[in-house]
Amino acid sequence: MKRITQPEDRHPFFDQIEKLFKNRTGVAGLVIIAVFSLAAVLAPVISPHNPVENALYDQLKQPVWHTEGTTKNLLGTDDLGRDILSRLIYGARVSLTLGVVSVGIALMFGGFLGAVAGYYKGWLDNLIMRCMDIVLAFPHILLAIVIVAYLGPGLRNAMIAIGIINIPRFARIVRASVLDEYEKDYVTAARAVGSSDRRIIFNAIFPNCLAPIIVQASLGFGAAILDAAGLSFLGLGAQPPTPEWGAMIAQGRAMILRAWWVMTFPGIAILLAVLGFNLLGDGLRDALDPRLRD
Amino acid sequence: MTPMGNTRPLLIIRNLKTYFRVRGGVLRAVDDVSLGICSGETLGLVGESGCGKSVSAASVMGLIPIPPGFIAGGEILFEGEDLLKVPESRMRRIRGKKISMIFQEPMTSLNPVFTVGEQVAEVIRLHEKLTRRQVRERVIQAFRRVGIPAPESRIHDYPHQMSGGMRQRVMIAMALACHPRLMIADEPTTALDVTIQAQILELMNRLKAETGASILFITHDLGVIAEMAQTVAVMYAGKVMEAADADTLFSAPRHPYTVGLMNSIPGVGTDKKQRRLRTIPGVVPSLFNLPQGCLFSERCTERRADCARLEPRMIDLGGGHTVRCLKYA
Repeated sequence: MKRITQPEDRHPFFDQIEKLFKNRTGVAGLVIIAVFSLAAVLAPVISPHNPVENALYDQLKQPVWHTEGTTKNLLGTDDLGRDILSRLIYGARVSLTLGVVSVGIALMFGGFLGAVAGYYKGWLDNLIMRCMDIVLAFPHILLAIVIVAYLGPGLRNAMIAIGIINIPRFARIVRASVLDEYEKDYVTAARAVGSSDRRIIFNAIFPNCLAPIIVQASLGFGAAILDAAGLSFLGLGAQPPTPEWGAMIAQGRAMILRAWWVMTFPGIAILLAVLGFNLLGDGLRDALDPRLRD
Repeated sequence: MTPMGNTRPLLIIRNLKTYFRVRGGVLRAVDDVSLGICSGETLGLVGESGCGKSVSAASVMGLIPIPPGFIAGGEILFEGEDLLKVPESRMRRIRGKKISMIFQEPMTSLNPVFTVGEQVAEVIRLHEKLTRRQVRERVIQAFRRVGIPAPESRIHDYPHQMSGGMRQRVMIAMALACHPRLMIADEPTTALDVTIQAQILELMNRLKAETGASILFITHDLGVIAEMAQTVAVMYAGKVMEAADADTLFSAPRHPYTVGLMNSIPGVGTDKKQRRLRTIPGVVPSLFNLPQGCLFSERCTERRADCARLEPRMIDLGGGHTVRCLKYA
């Protein structure tokens, strides 16, 4: 007998995935991120050179399509003779790690604070959210600079700083979703079967708030990469010789007129990565947000 | 097994006062309500929307949001224990285990992101220490008992894959999963269509007989009460107006409000008098602005001079029949 699959027989998750794949810009974002992720994972295999090895005879080689370019260094070399392409590939590792760690920090603390604020309401909500407002009142890169200045420069501390400045975004989004979900009957039902507050918040309500969190997280990745590049550019993030895109730009700044490629390619890498995450974020928003569902 | 005494009270609510502090004063949602349920018995709680039926039930479960709500007085004795005095940790062990609840909206009272089997399993895991396999067995057994076909595969369904009637069966399975002594059903059939409603009521009656659990059945539908309840309490504006066993209440209602409610049931006869739907004149008074004297006095057809002045007390007419009306004072 032939089984007829009804459309409502499927979990809405599959509909959402399908919707994401129908969204062209979303797919473009997904492809960009997939390429960068692949580059990051396969960095030791695909990069033609060691990203931190100096080659003083190969200083400031031009990209391959220039008259003096060679296939040895497809995107040229920097002032220490390091291969730009290899540095970009390894830089993807740094940037993606940094995105995961800082968004992870922001999501963990922001999610917890937002959930608690939205669930208990009252003075606790006020206390938490006013603190978040204070954090948001600072220009966020300035706040990141202050935190890194306090903790000391370095990639690890830059990740922590970026995580901290993004806590309020997640706190707000989670709080709003929890407030929304709190009114639903299944929350009362969960309480009526004897669940504790902790279980209700994290096991019953939180999974229902995932859609906006996923969207915010993917947008947050892009923002974190950009912020980290900014910090590295200022010398507060990744330290030489770490192949970080922002640091590469800072390093190439001095010779932009002589060797444009040293600064331009990492710039393009940042642009593409951030664009990719933003496109994916928007695509996910369209696919997951029930208010935008047709 | 010990024989079940049919007169042993399982739950006694005495002079319960559940108020809400709101802007502009205190709202007396439940005011001086006393009720009793015996083991294996169904108490029907009837009344119009906003008369305090659901708040009474939520008070028993300890689900009143505090603030703005607060218990201004009274006691709720369940198996001899005052639920208003036990700590929250003890209350959590009672909820779902000894007293469980079925809600009005089966569409929204199940968590949309978990399978129905997982949700029933959660209740069992909260209250009993069992292995995964045992929990699964119990879930399937519970599903089978509430008449869900092919429970082995249905436990993997998400709520949105089920019909309203099936979901309400899942809610009942969840409520029965830990063999509670008391089930509180807050308008469990209001959101369902009539045929499904009949099935669910029949199911609840059958399960009550099987398990010996008591039911506090809340509804605004007198027809449903007649089918379910052994004793009935009629609530109006936060107070119990009349309480009696079901037969007495339906055959000889004493309070003018109860009489009005009975008359408001639409008849199907061709008799000219019955063709026009009879109603109770006026509207329920606002809880912010309750009238002096008897709460029903403004709408009462048998109003006397004293009614707007004196607040009637609960009067015992004998045989467990009580009524709050000056007529019988």
